[in-house]
Amino acid sequence: MSTKPAGYRYRERPRLPDLAYKLAIFAASVVLLTYVLAPFAWLVSSSFQTEAEIVSVPPHWIPHEPTLENFEAIFFYDQEEVTYESRSKADPASGGYIPSTAKSLLPAMWNSFKVAIAVVILNLLVGVPAAYAMAKIRFKGRNASVYTILTTRVIPDIALVVPFFLVIKNLGLLDSLWALILTYLAITVPFTVFILVGYFESLPDDLDKAARIDGCSRFQTLTRVFLPLAVPSLVAVILFTFLTSWNEFLLALMFTQTQAAQTLPIIVASFTSDFTISFSFINAAGVVAVIPPVIVAIMFERYIVSGLTAGAVKG
Amino acid sequence: MTRLLPARLADALARRFNYDTRSAMLFIAPVMTVLAVVAVFPIAYSLYLSFFKLKLTRPHRVPFVWFDNYIDLLGDGLFWSSVGRTVYFSVISVTAIAVLAMLIALLLNETFRGRRILSAILLIPWAIPTVANGLMWKWIYDSGYGALNGLLLQLGWIDKYLIWLGDPDKTIPLIANAFVWKEVPLATILILVTMKSIPADLYRAAKVDGANVMQRFVHITLPSLKPGFALVAIYETMMAIRHFDLFFILTEGGPGEASHVSAWHVYAETFRNLSFGTGSALAYMMAIVTFVLAYFIIRTLGRRI
Amino acid sequence: MARIRFDNVTKYYGNVLAVDKLNLDIRDKEFVVLLGPSGCGKTTTLNMIAGLEELSEGDIWFDDEIVNFMPPHKRDVAMVFQSYALYPHKSVYENIAFGLAMRKYPKAEIDKRVRDAAARLHIDHLLDRRPNQLSGGQRQRVALGRAMVRQPAVFLMDEPLSNLDAALRVSMRAEIKELHQTMQTTFVYVTHDQAEALTLADRIVVMKDGIVQQLGAPDEIYEQPRNMFVASFLGNPPINYLEGELVASNGRMAFRRGGLTLSLNSEASAKLSGQEERKAILGIRPEDVDDRNEPVEGGAIHGHVNFVMPIGSDQFLNMKLEGEELFFRVGKETRHRNGEEVTLAANLDRLHLFDPETEKSLLWD
Repeated sequence: MSTKPAGYRYRERPRLPDLAYKLAIFAASVVLLTYVLAPFAWLVSSSFQTEAEIVSVPPHWIPHEPTLENFEAIFFYDQEEVTYESRSKADPASGGYIPSTAKSLLPAMWNSFKVAIAVVILNLLVGVPAAYAMAKIRFKGRNASVYTILTTRVIPDIALVVPFFLVIKNLGLLDSLWALILTYLAITVPFTVFILVGYFESLPDDLDKAARIDGCSRFQTLTRVFLPLAVPSLVAVILFTFLTSWNEFLLALMFTQTQAAQTLPIIVASFTSDFTISFSFINAAGVVAVIPPVIVAIMFERYIVSGLTAGAVKG
Repeated sequence: MTRLLPARLADALARRFNYDTRSAMLFIAPVMTVLAVVAVFPIAYSLYLSFFKLKLTRPHRVPFVWFDNYIDLLGDGLFWSSVGRTVYFSVISVTAIAVLAMLIALLLNETFRGRRILSAILLIPWAIPTVANGLMWKWIYDSGYGALNGLLLQLGWIDKYLIWLGDPDKTIPLIANAFVWKEVPLATILILVTMKSIPADLYRAAKVDGANVMQRFVHITLPSLKPGFALVAIYETMMAIRHFDLFFILTEGGPGEASHVSAWHVYAETFRNLSFGTGSALAYMMAIVTFVLAYFIIRTLGRRI
Repeated sequence: MARIRFDNVTKYYGNVLAVDKLNLDIRDKEFVVLLGPSGCGKTTTLNMIAGLEELSEGDIWFDDEIVNFMPPHKRDVAMVFQSYALYPHKSVYENIAFGLAMRKYPKAEIDKRVRDAAARLHIDHLLDRRPNQLSGGQRQRVALGRAMVRQPAVFLMDEPLSNLDAALRVSMRAEIKELHQTMQTTFVYVTHDQAEALTLADRIVVMKDGIVQQLGAPDEIYEQPRNMFVASFLGNPPINYLEGELVASNGRMAFRRGGLTLSLNSEASAKLSGQEERKAILGIRPEDVDDRNEPVEGGAIHGHVNFVMPIGSDQFLNMKLEGEELFFRVGKETRHRNGEEVTLAANLDRLHLFDPETEKSLLWD
């Protein structure tokens, strides 16, 4: 370091701490990226490998002969009839073992989608008026209502299983999507209400009063004034509800038995218990199951964060 | 909206409650009905069932047995060992989650180019269905061809492939790792939100007072994060205690009983032993434990409401 | 010694210019007030003195040393924040002691200083409490105490009184002035309240949009504002403006608008002689008129009283003259009425004149 005249030591920005800081941030970011992406990247990489390649020791991190055959099996399931004969003839080492449930992957995805949409719509219909009332209307029992609703989510899903199973069985709904839709309401509605109440409370009370003086009924106040303002939280609710419903496994496992009603997580899980496992196919199935929620999450990241914070920070 | 109701009922309501309360009641009615059916009812029914010996293998003999189911459970060694495993799983998971979440939140709290992208990518584990998460890790942990073995071999840390999930000592930590990986994003967001609400002036005052980075962290950041930590700890403990999906996909409660946790115990009792009575009793007890924990969450949140 | 010198200091936030080529010389033990509306750059300037913001261009000197990138804790400054910024998880004692503890002073010394400061600020009975148990005024004193015990070379204050109620604000002003006397340290104080600036400052720096508008003693700034912004920013109620032009009248220069003619005094006339028909804006402060005596030749203001607002000791007259609305303040001897036609005597030594385009004063620079 050149010696500067006395008094000039702090004239320029010191390089070393600045560099050290930037380096630390970079290193930490790389570590974080690795932690988050590495397992996921391996999943994706595996899905593009043939059965032969995927059993290499040590593994090929990047496929040497990438193939789309696993994805073809998923998307074009109706073109290749997988029978016991065709499977038993195939040689494991050459790859190509597709579980018999493969052809139900896309239909299961469609089931998941139907259920998720229904749950989202019902959540909004039921949750929005309630949240508005609890946030903006002073009525006896308001606090009690809020606490009650929050408390219901406390119940572990396991505890829901037995009673629901019996009821649904007796009602004959056992293998229908409605069983799932109804039970999913139990696990999504409290959180929806929580987020919406938090957001509504952060909107000014005066708007409410102004609207009512202008002649709106409570319902009109909700639909014309508050709903347009609450769009960010509505987006957050739609996202959360959709993702929760799409990913739900335990209840779907209990309540659906045939592929007619099974949702995506169940089908994907069933691959692991199939005795002829094609590793690369399982990974491909995993990727297909994962892509929609991941895309949704990344695109709407901002809403997810702000939806959560509206509830948590404002209380 | 009271136009929807029969006239006499509407009048009776109108006389008793003012407009505000009536509107509120109407708006809340749907939610309360739904929740009564799908949440309150199962709990009550579950409690009811737990007093009967109901085995689906003999569906017509359903004797009322008072607390026998509970007593049977408490006397069952498997019950207690599964509780122990649940505690073990929860403790290591929640600790790992809290530490990782804080470190990541510290990073994301700084401003730098690419931070938004990093935040978005961080959400991937959270978005992945638990099933896919389980599959992914099962494949990574695979004893024959898994990536974990491959990586360690290439790094030279082992000289031949090891058994991972099949090793009873390693089972729970491995499952915990998969659980933590998926839960960290949410925990990070919760901590980050608390961090962002720390007034910037506090850090400025500390800088002027002469505190360096480490001292600012210890004197300002950590104390201010306490409510965030409490929230994360309690919420994740609740999630860990009731977690089921990974145990189903990765190990099915095994090998042997190595990963037979309480959540799995409920499933095993109910759907493998087909003993709905004891299953209900167990589910009900777990519900109570989580209820107590949730009470603490609501109290922590309540302080900020 | 604590001289602070800003040498062509500029600060950008991204593309936004916050402070523009600031040149400022603050003397040792001086009480300087940075005054201006929000966004004028006064807080940024204060933060640059503290080292909490880095400058973009220029140099900042503390005595004979450049401190551009010197970290805050090496600068021997103490600061009182608008929000007080008390550490919520520490007791009052720990809050005050924190700066000394970070600098590793011996415990005995810390204890002595903390208790002295607490006694001086009358908060010694609060030392064990937490900030959230204190009132606003008490928190403010703790913030002061925290800065005081450091016995710094420079004392910085960022709108410390703006969160207090009016009565408390006035009494605290006196205490701060007294503190300055006792501590014999350089004080740099930021505010948007012109009354505060006038009462506290040895010199005021009036800022707008990152540029210094005028720098000088309170009286000088009040009585000889260099542009219209400074003239209207100081004084409450603000100065009245009238557009018109200069004329020659009876051997002197005068301001004319319609029927109103006001003669300028000899100094002003001399300065502006020969500039007839130049457009000008007249500035006259509400208190610079009189309703008791007959106005002299060329010093009369005739107007129509719109309404009268009595305020205890005086009356405010909202008047209409020459098509404009003006505000004046007079005593209570003559009770005026709404709708009256009234004649006031202007204080001809206190007239201000500005160029309509540059807004600069024609009389002072």
